[in-house]
Amino acid sequence: MLGVAGTIVAAIIIMAIEIPTLWKKKLTKELWVFSILTLIAVGLGIAQSLHLDIPSPLNGVRIVLQPFIDYIYGLLK
Amino acid sequence: MINNIKISARQFAILVILFSIGTTILVIPGSLAHDVKQDAWIAAIIGTGVTFLVVALYISLGRMFPAMTLVEIIEALLGKWLGKIVSLTFVFFSFIAASDLLYYVGTFLTNQILPKTPPEAIHILFAFILMMGIRLGLETLARSAEVLFPIFIFLFILLVVSVLLTPDLWKFENIQPIFNTGMKPMVRAVFLFASIFTLPLVVFLMIFPISVDQPKEAEKSFFTGIFIAGICLIILIGLTILVLGPESSTNQMFPGYTLAKRIEIGDFLQRIEAILAIMWIIAIYFKMTIYFYAAIIAFVQTLNIKDYRPLTLPVGMIMVMISFFSHPNVTHSAAFDKEVWPLYSLAYGLLLPLFLLVVKALRILINLDKKHE
Repeated sequence: MLGVAGTIVAAIIIMAIEIPTLWKKKLTKELWVFSILTLIAVGLGIAQSLHLDIPSPLNGVRIVLQPFIDYIYGLLK
Repeated sequence: MINNIKISARQFAILVILFSIGTTILVIPGSLAHDVKQDAWIAAIIGTGVTFLVVALYISLGRMFPAMTLVEIIEALLGKWLGKIVSLTFVFFSFIAASDLLYYVGTFLTNQILPKTPPEAIHILFAFILMMGIRLGLETLARSAEVLFPIFIFLFILLVVSVLLTPDLWKFENIQPIFNTGMKPMVRAVFLFASIFTLPLVVFLMIFPISVDQPKEAEKSFFTGIFIAGICLIILIGLTILVLGPESSTNQMFPGYTLAKRIEIGDFLQRIEAILAIMWIIAIYFKMTIYFYAAIIAFVQTLNIKDYRPLTLPVGMIMVMISFFSHPNVTHSAAFDKEVWPLYSLAYGLLLPLFLLVVKALRILINLDKKHE
């Protein structure tokens, strides 16, 4: 629970720092990208604090590269 | 926006040195010794030689497109949509590398220095100074690198001298017999060395040549940077093997650190392993910021956003979150570094620049582009 609270507080602080300037300068695109990124961060943070099983992005990299890994290390064995 | 950022050739060289020494200094002696035993230092020499060739490739790419970053080159050569997709995968590469380093810092500090601190706390604190540096900009980072670099070199010399001053610490039998390894383990070791030392240098194409104020000087300082970093690493790897021997270098998680722990001059100079920790923290900080900077500039340029600063904090927060769960344990991280990372960095560090050069050459051949002056 502490993790969830911490994530939300961090997100609110980040928004309080950045959004006023973006809003004043009317940077709509930046505002969208900023909001999506913050949302992802909050989602990851909450999932992490609740000990949900998030797949590691590095495993994705490994799956894509596995055939090449087998080939190259097979050659160098 | 990014066109206004200029660092000097000297600062660029220092960034290259700190970047390439970065993680290598603590971890690589062990993984090299695993493959080639006492010949690890030879692998480092060959690896440094290979690095010169790779840097020459980056420089020739930089000469063809003196006013573009890597992402702009990709987009100019591969077209808008394909270019954007490739650029985003590059962003992911650089970003994941940064979060991986954050994991490294956490592991190292909780294993060796702060055993009772939760790694999360270290990740978050380290990410704070990282984001602070990024928001202050590349010029500030380069200047702080200039300030910290003499300390780094001083500590390095202190470490080397204190090992050399304790002759009963090192044994020549440890590196004998020389040239005892076969061809294939050597290739594997050089590849491993290059994957940490050489190939990640591709992220400098986001800074070089566009953000360096004297491009001609910068080319030279790229090479000097690699030369100095290579020498430092060869010395350090050699010392680790001399002192610890190949077997115990392989078994240690941070052999460089164990090396520093052994130092004891007389009865008064001992426990100077913190020296190595400080050097490592300085180097890894700059390595991480450069990865992160490259990732965020590439991201912003792909999406055609002018200023990267507002996005620093959320991207940094995502990075911290990913560093929490990217590796479930140290074994996973070691296996990733040994098997996946070499090929992953080969794809971006060598194949992507080569591919871009070939595409450019083809476009000149079929006269899509005017010949470069």
